[in-house]
Amino acid sequence: MTAKTRFAAAVSAALILLLTASCASHLRQAKSAYVRGQELARAHRTGEALSAYKRAAQEAGLESRRNPSAQAFMVKGMAEASLELWRDAEASFLAAFGLGFEPGRAWASDASLLGLAVSFEELGLGDSATGVYERLLAKSSYEPVRMAAVQRYVDLAAARALTLAPVEKSRALARIVTAIDKLEANNYACGLYHYYHGQVESHRGDYRRSYEECVIARELGLPYEKVLRDNDNQIVFCYDRLVSSLPEAERGAFSEAHGAWAAKWGWKDARTPGWKKD
Amino acid sequence: MSREDLEKALARGIEILNEFLPVKTYLYFPILYSACVWAVRRVFDYRERILAWQVWIDPDYIKTKPDEFILHFFATHGALSAAYEDEIDGRDMQVLRAAFPALYPVCGLEDAFLRGLFKAELDAADYRRIAAEFGERAAAARDAVTAAEADGDFWKELEAFGMEAAALGIHLLRDAEVQDMIVRLLKERMSGEPQAR
Repeated sequence: MTAKTRFAAAVSAALILLLTASCASHLRQAKSAYVRGQELARAHRTGEALSAYKRAAQEAGLESRRNPSAQAFMVKGMAEASLELWRDAEASFLAAFGLGFEPGRAWASDASLLGLAVSFEELGLGDSATGVYERLLAKSSYEPVRMAAVQRYVDLAAARALTLAPVEKSRALARIVTAIDKLEANNYACGLYHYYHGQVESHRGDYRRSYEECVIARELGLPYEKVLRDNDNQIVFCYDRLVSSLPEAERGAFSEAHGAWAAKWGWKDARTPGWKKD
Repeated sequence: MSREDLEKALARGIEILNEFLPVKTYLYFPILYSACVWAVRRVFDYRERILAWQVWIDPDYIKTKPDEFILHFFATHGALSAAYEDEIDGRDMQVLRAAFPALYPVCGLEDAFLRGLFKAELDAADYRRIAAEFGERAAAARDAVTAAEADGDFWKELEAFGMEAAALGIHLLRDAEVQDMIVRLLKERMSGEPQAR
């Protein structure tokens, strides 16, 4: 081997190494951006979380083009699902399945169904959308799909329940609670599920239970600021209802316990969350 | 914290908006005010926050509320309860439900941008006007802001303004003081004359 060919071989090896390292770093960066997105979302920094998910999808996209692998498509699909790009997520999960990621087919199907339900809703086909959301809540093994479906389902199903006669309304609300109970059983530590539960109990007029669910939601953490504020408002609403309806003996103990929570959360007083300016 | 430096920063914020939204002066207060609110909390994802009430992909809060919650919301918000006294007393849920989707994000969730957008109505306790005009004005504001962002520097410059305001210690001022300062500077700009402090 001449010096020239040795040099060419060394350059090729270096280039291969560089390209491999670059590919590896795309996947690493995609994973790291995805995890960062989740952290930011939990810290209510939603705009930055969105950017992180976009970055994760881009990096995973680069990786999957240069070096297609189940892992690259899986990360790409997860980032796309976080951006609610359901059709893209479906394609990525299917590609991941084709490369050996076993749950990919089910995840793709769930993402596709969710996209379909969103379309139904946009077309005003509320009942069809509710049916698909309900199915996803019961069957989907992919948490982000369940999370996206549950808010839409609770809003739609509660709005429908409000139009029904008392007995039917009560049944319809019980059905929503059953669906949320199952979600909580699978992931009790998810604050959002308890927030939804608290909302539905409020529709049922069970303010004690609603209060408890909202307190649990606040303690477990809520990833979105609007939801956190709405949850706080629900706590204040339930507090007022309970204080005015509980027997005097219970009222004192309840007020004391609520005061302790309010202090822990940094509220200005029992009825004023820290973020309130009004 | 120097109030003078802070006023200079706010004046620069007005210049930025004048550059990007030259004829949309009604947006200056809500954008600057909300930028200051978030600057205090060191949160600089302005684009998503300003557009949050309509286009953000977060799982949203549950909008379907029971009658009792809606009544409680209207009855426990000082000036709001006075404005809707008859409807609250008569449990006129048709009117209250129709107004709720507009008034809850502004008065219940206290969205900083929306509070800025409807500042005049809030100051005048004209809640019925907010309810009547919310959809149209919020959509117009969104369209104007979306058009301004066609120039990528809009958000960058607004973020730089927010960071400067935060560094200058805007958190040391009360919310009402920040609002007054912005209003005074805007009036000065429109009238070309100094306004009383």
